[in-house]
Amino acid sequence: MVNERESLFRRLSAACGGHDGAVAGEPLPGGAPLAPEGDRVALFEKTFTAAGGILLRAPVEKTLSDLGETLRAEGVTALFFPEDDAASREIAEALVPFGPFNLTTAEEVREGSTSVTAGFRTAEAGIAETGTIVETSAGGKTLLPGLLADVHVSIVPVTSVVGRMEEALSILAAGTPRNISFLTGPSKTADIEQTLTVGAHGPKKAIALLLG
Amino acid sequence: MELNANAFGRNSRKALLDKTLQEALGRTTGRFQAHRDAAVAAFPEFEATRERASRIKRDVLDHLDTYLARFIAEAEKRGTIVHVARDAAQAREIAARIARDEGVTLAVKSKSMASEEISFNEALQGAGVTVVESDLGEFIIQLAGEAPSHIIAPAVHKTREQISRLFERHLGEPPTDSIPELVGMARKHLRAKFLSAGMGVSGGNFLVADTGSVVLVTNEGNGRMGTVLPRVHLAVVGIEKVIPRMADLPTFLRILPRSASGQAISSYVSIVTGTRRAGDPEGPERMHILLLDCGRSAILEGKYREILKCVRCAACLNACPVYQSVGGHAYGWVYSGPIGAVLTPLLVGLPEAAALPDASTLCGACADVCPVKIPLPDFLLELRSDAREQGLKTPGEIAAMKGYAGVMKRAGLLEAIERIAGVLGQFFTKGKGIGGLPYPFSGWTERRDFPAPAARPFRKQWKIKRGARG
Amino acid sequence: MPYNAGMDPKGPIPVSLFFTCLADAFSPGVCNATVEVLERFGATVRVPLSQTCCGQPAFNSGNRKEARAMARKFLLTFPDEGPIVTPSGSCAAMVKHGYPVLFRNEPRMLARARAVGDRIFELSQFLVDVLGVTDPKSDFSGKVTYHDSCHLRRGLGVVSAPRKLLRAVPGVEFVEMEESDRCCGFGGVFSLKNPQISCKMTERKVERILATGASYVTSGDLGCLLNIGGLISRFGYPVKAIHLAEILAGGTGGLSSFAADAASEDARPPGTIRRAGGR
Ligand code: SF4
Repeated sequence: MVNERESLFRRLSAACGGHDGAVAGEPLPGGAPLAPEGDRVALFEKTFTAAGGILLRAPVEKTLSDLGETLRAEGVTALFFPEDDAASREIAEALVPFGPFNLTTAEEVREGSTSVTAGFRTAEAGIAETGTIVETSAGGKTLLPGLLADVHVSIVPVTSVVGRMEEALSILAAGTPRNISFLTGPSKTADIEQTLTVGAHGPKKAIALLLG
Repeated sequence: MELNANAFGRNSRKALLDKTLQEALGRTTGRFQAHRDAAVAAFPEFEATRERASRIKRDVLDHLDTYLARFIAEAEKRGTIVHVARDAAQAREIAARIARDEGVTLAVKSKSMASEEISFNEALQGAGVTVVESDLGEFIIQLAGEAPSHIIAPAVHKTREQISRLFERHLGEPPTDSIPELVGMARKHLRAKFLSAGMGVSGGNFLVADTGSVVLVTNEGNGRMGTVLPRVHLAVVGIEKVIPRMADLPTFLRILPRSASGQAISSYVSIVTGTRRAGDPEGPERMHILLLDCGRSAILEGKYREILKCVRCAACLNACPVYQSVGGHAYGWVYSGPIGAVLTPLLVGLPEAAALPDASTLCGACADVCPVKIPLPDFLLELRSDAREQGLKTPGEIAAMKGYAGVMKRAGLLEAIERIAGVLGQFFTKGKGIGGLPYPFSGWTERRDFPAPAARPFRKQWKIKRGARG
Repeated sequence: MPYNAGMDPKGPIPVSLFFTCLADAFSPGVCNATVEVLERFGATVRVPLSQTCCGQPAFNSGNRKEARAMARKFLLTFPDEGPIVTPSGSCAAMVKHGYPVLFRNEPRMLARARAVGDRIFELSQFLVDVLGVTDPKSDFSGKVTYHDSCHLRRGLGVVSAPRKLLRAVPGVEFVEMEESDRCCGFGGVFSLKNPQISCKMTERKVERILATGASYVTSGDLGCLLNIGGLISRFGYPVKAIHLAEILAGGTGGLSSFAADAASEDARPPGTIRRAGGR
């Protein structure tokens, strides 16, 4: 296909040849909106909730019982978390008594488990502007808890909350990991009669535990 | 997708009589529009962001050779295999070859208008590959054996009853009138497909030149599944989708979901770059990007360059009173509404779609909402003029226009004609509206009166009262 | 937009009237009303009698050769200095935005087209933005709703001027309709090429008009009003289409083209000044 590519670029260069001589990528006026004023974390709480997420914040004891209740209400019976994610493991294990919950693994879920699952994972960042959880594959991390589970529980250290998308990208895109995912609220569709319905493919509920 | 754009007149009359479609259109376009307006009103920086997005896109198109080369180099550096197709036939050939070489028998696809352009599914089916649409709306349409009718809501014309019957027949599910249950059935069925498919097929909302990344924006999460689970990922994307830098992405993420559905951001944004790295527990082993020209470089060369700024948000569809009246199928190809009325003739050739630029009142509602400031009404006018130059207008229209210009060149002649029309009009209608006229005015008078010409036109009145001094 | 450079606000203001071919032939009352209102506010109205059509039907249907011939004629007809006022947002927008397109490859004509484009105003725009009229001094009375013509609103950006004027008429009970800025479905040749879609749009517009309970629907474009009025006339709905100029002048007849008593209204001597309260 090298020839086809060369001929494409010949066509493109001929078409673009007429431009005004400006250099590609010259700086543009008007950048990102101003960094959100006030408390980033408070804004994150607001936007995450507005996007349809459920936000829980310490004290830990109260949070665990609230979380246990929410998961039971969703019919969750099995919990899973990345092997190398200590914070997630800690929370999931502490939750078992609030169940009845079993612990399972991403591999089992991927093989096609029939239980209703909650997937736990520590977020790399929270974005206050949009209420977004950021997860990446950097350093061999898995994305399966937020992908396959019926309920996704993100552990969000308050120190990881940034104001705008630009900040998250400038931190996390370094080295360009294979996958950078912005997750905002539950999976949704309005494809049937324009009626908003959750859980089209991904989690039906998105929960964030703010730590710190 | 089969091309039927010149039948717009016939298609639209059919659509106007389709009661289900009319109800669905009323329900959906109004809601999309209200959500879009509210989201824009709640985001004070919208105009500035829109301006910036438009400028970035303009810069990309003015230097597409540079940016696309950069994108390809960065993508290949990270293990992505990049293919280039000049036209639909070549694109189908390449897609089929990829599937065969990768030993794929089942592919799961997320929404991609570009793949519709090249009839991607047929190409893969021809190579023995089953292609399952995973976007819920597309999935429903695929089961029904139809074509999508809206860029971001392909099944707007289907009711829950119709969908339940489809799921009964094709998935063996019990009947239901609950939308969450219907969504659950599709989820279960499609999850199994995601877990067993050899290849995930996606479009691409953006291609990031400085990293070689493909960006997918979805609400359902299917784009995400298809790029994490199957062992091969194929993205089919138009060459114009490049943006210069990762740092430019937030600008577009701020306008696209707001314009499309009124969300501050879509549920899922996946930025995917290359294949599974050492130590990665998941991710595709192979990643292919099929870049489509399919008429784009020719558009780039001419006066319609800016149409390639389009981010496929569908805001112009929702705002268009013609689209709201007839829906997407009437436009007879992949793209509908104002963007379709401009883009289709440019991609398939004006002779094949000359009816589309005429399918607008030039009201300008589309240009008001377009988040990248494409002058859609100007382009519609330009295409109508091209149609005349390319000899695509009927002899009747040209004769009428020549006659009109001949009369209007001479005020005296116009006045004489007005006098005759005035006398006839008063005689036949007694000054009331006219209830029936021959073709080409017959359509007007079907349900509207045509105005009666005045007994004494203004020019004459003025001359009588104030003399001819002007 | 302010266009009053060199104009003495106290002296007479010379204005050229572009009455439009549509109003000339179908609703001369609109032209008379325009003259009346302009004179009421101190304008001396000049009417170049060789004028015809701005060329919009040809331009909008892509027949630029014919449109260009019309445009050339228009530029010859309105050569002098001073504002050109027209009771049509759509024709003003054609001159302002369409002519530069037609002459984009003819630098000298382009310059002339731009100069004329700077001089042309739709009536309400001229009254409010140039003459600074706040009280139109009209004795019109009735419940009125307003339809934004697409080209007046989006083409010229005139949104508030007609509303300000309507609200300032003591006898007018002004009521906004839903979707006032939604196209009425006319679109010139569109209404002939796609009459069913056009009519569907007109029906929705008329529904919104009827929902206001207004006795009159007005607008700054005769094309819209003939279209809307045509449907109203066919179904006999209890509302009249009337041009903004007619309301400002103080007439309560509505568009003459659909009314049996049209002849008498038409025959009213042009320029007969009906002072406020003087009917
Ligand atoms: S033309 Fe503009 S409004 Fe229409 S789909 Fe494209 S970007 Fe959106």
